[in-house]
Amino acid sequence: MVDDKEPKAPSPGPPARAAGDGATAPPAAAAPPAPPAPAAPKADPLREPVPSRAVDLLKQTLPDALLEVAYHAGQALVRVPPARLVEVLRFLRDHADLHFDYLSNLTGMHWPKNDRPMQVVYHLFSIARRHRLTVKIDLAEGEEAPSVTGLWPTADWHEREAFDLFGIRFAGHPDLRRILMPDDWSGHPLRKEYPLEGNPGDHVQYRDVGTAEHVYRYDKAAIRGFGWRKEVEKTGLGKG
Amino acid sequence: MFRTEEMEINMGPQHPSTHGVLRLVLQLDGEEIRAMRPVIGYLHRGVEKLCEHRTFPMIEPLTDRLDYVAAISENLGYCGAVERLMGVQVPPRAQYIRVVLAELQRLASHLLWLGTHALDLGAMTVFFYTFREREIILDLFESFCGARLTYNSMRIGGLYEDVPRGWFDRVRHFLKIFPGRMQEYEDLLTVNRIFVGRTKGVGLLSAADAVAWGVSGPPLRASGVNYDVRKAIPYSSYEEFEFDVPLGANGDTYDRYLVRMEEMRQSCRILRQALDRMPDGEVRAKVPKYIKPPAGEVYHVVESPRGEQGFYIVATGGEMPYRMRFRAPSFVNTQALPLMCRGRLMADVVAIIGSIDIVLGDCDR
Repeated sequence: MVDDKEPKAPSPGPPARAAGDGATAPPAAAAPPAPPAPAAPKADPLREPVPSRAVDLLKQTLPDALLEVAYHAGQALVRVPPARLVEVLRFLRDHADLHFDYLSNLTGMHWPKNDRPMQVVYHLFSIARRHRLTVKIDLAEGEEAPSVTGLWPTADWHEREAFDLFGIRFAGHPDLRRILMPDDWSGHPLRKEYPLEGNPGDHVQYRDVGTAEHVYRYDKAAIRGFGWRKEVEKTGLGKG
Repeated sequence: MFRTEEMEINMGPQHPSTHGVLRLVLQLDGEEIRAMRPVIGYLHRGVEKLCEHRTFPMIEPLTDRLDYVAAISENLGYCGAVERLMGVQVPPRAQYIRVVLAELQRLASHLLWLGTHALDLGAMTVFFYTFREREIILDLFESFCGARLTYNSMRIGGLYEDVPRGWFDRVRHFLKIFPGRMQEYEDLLTVNRIFVGRTKGVGLLSAADAVAWGVSGPPLRASGVNYDVRKAIPYSSYEEFEFDVPLGANGDTYDRYLVRMEEMRQSCRILRQALDRMPDGEVRAKVPKYIKPPAGEVYHVVESPRGEQGFYIVATGGEMPYRMRFRAPSFVNTQALPLMCRGRLMADVVAIIGSIDIVLGDCDR
């Protein structure tokens, strides 16, 4: 069932996380000694360059579109209003200094206790500049997100998946169908109220395609040998 | 008297050349492909949902089952993501052993790809040759962690234990014989007229298309885009190794073949450096017994044999992730399949599927 200690998402307003927040601090004391090897313990091999340039430029040019700027484990994250999303992403993609040409990942999230419970997350990467940025939007229940298939065609399947698993609809998507679950599935499995396990009938209504009954009757008939056994008993065939 | 019409046929999900349960709905004009619609999801097991109900250490075995041909890359990426979320510094020896494991895994995965790709195109001998060498690598894995397919080989903070005695010598022995074996594959394929005829100019993908469609890994580099995560955003001390990123020029099936062959050579180069400079010391950092990363999120990316493998973890301070998302390279690369197949012949589809090297367990999650 749903986790009882379901937390709230960091809301767009006050509890913005401070930069670093412990996750980025290189734990210098924890580095073990490696006497003979040339490889000295390094500060943080997993650190990626934080694309401060992107955040700076956004602050300069589109300050009213930034609801929140946060850093998690060395990665920058900006939260924008859904109505400004396409504008912001287009700016990030087309600006010569930023050049976010690669939409690495797009996914949804569900925070049932928030006022705007649905979230869409965009992970951008620039192959030429080698920096990353995470962009997030918050949506009300049933609110449509703008589709970004016009900016990056790769968003096509990602958005279909977010629709399939979260029920988030994308306005302007060319072909918004389920992708991983069967077409006749009802419910969106990654939503928090959707149970982890259970019988299909408990939470999923299959569209009636009439197979189950057929199969059941077929099985029963097969056990009876499709009338063949009755025939044998009647006529005494095979009794030797 | 005669009339022609377009035909719609199904390829898969039970087709031997689709490498798993991929279904392709093809619209054909004679033998020519007018349109293609990939249908996926036959292997969807809801791993992301399962992860929300497992503690962090319990998730690692689940990652084995995603890309089961390259499970170690998944282990490496997942553990790296959690370590980054917790700010854990992995000991250098563990990082190096992880690199050795990951590169051996890349070799094993590419060998499986090469064998089946050649088999799809009618060259049967290569399959036996590559599986002979893959067997050596699987034996190495088996003596390291006891498993041959789903390894669960790492732990958050490092490794479960050090490699067994004499293991590095066995890797060295493998590296000694492997270049000769690679020459055997090359002799069979690289200038083989049938193989070249089936692959050259087939399944073209331009660099701009590849980037816009999010293609990653060897198919992206075969189109000439220089993006290898190991170079671009080094992880697990990949920045300490010298290796080249092979690039293709035309973005066709033949280039994808050449890129992967060269990648295998580069993997051997990395392996030799790692063995020569293997540091001593611990293989596991001090991590708490109950792993509870601080609230926050991380998107960690590694270069799996198939491409950019992303791990997006959202933690809320508990012992289970709030949301776990796997950015599967096979999922994204499959999306570009219709682009590569349009206008080609039916028989080319088999060659093109082989060349993007998808694993449906990774694609459907």
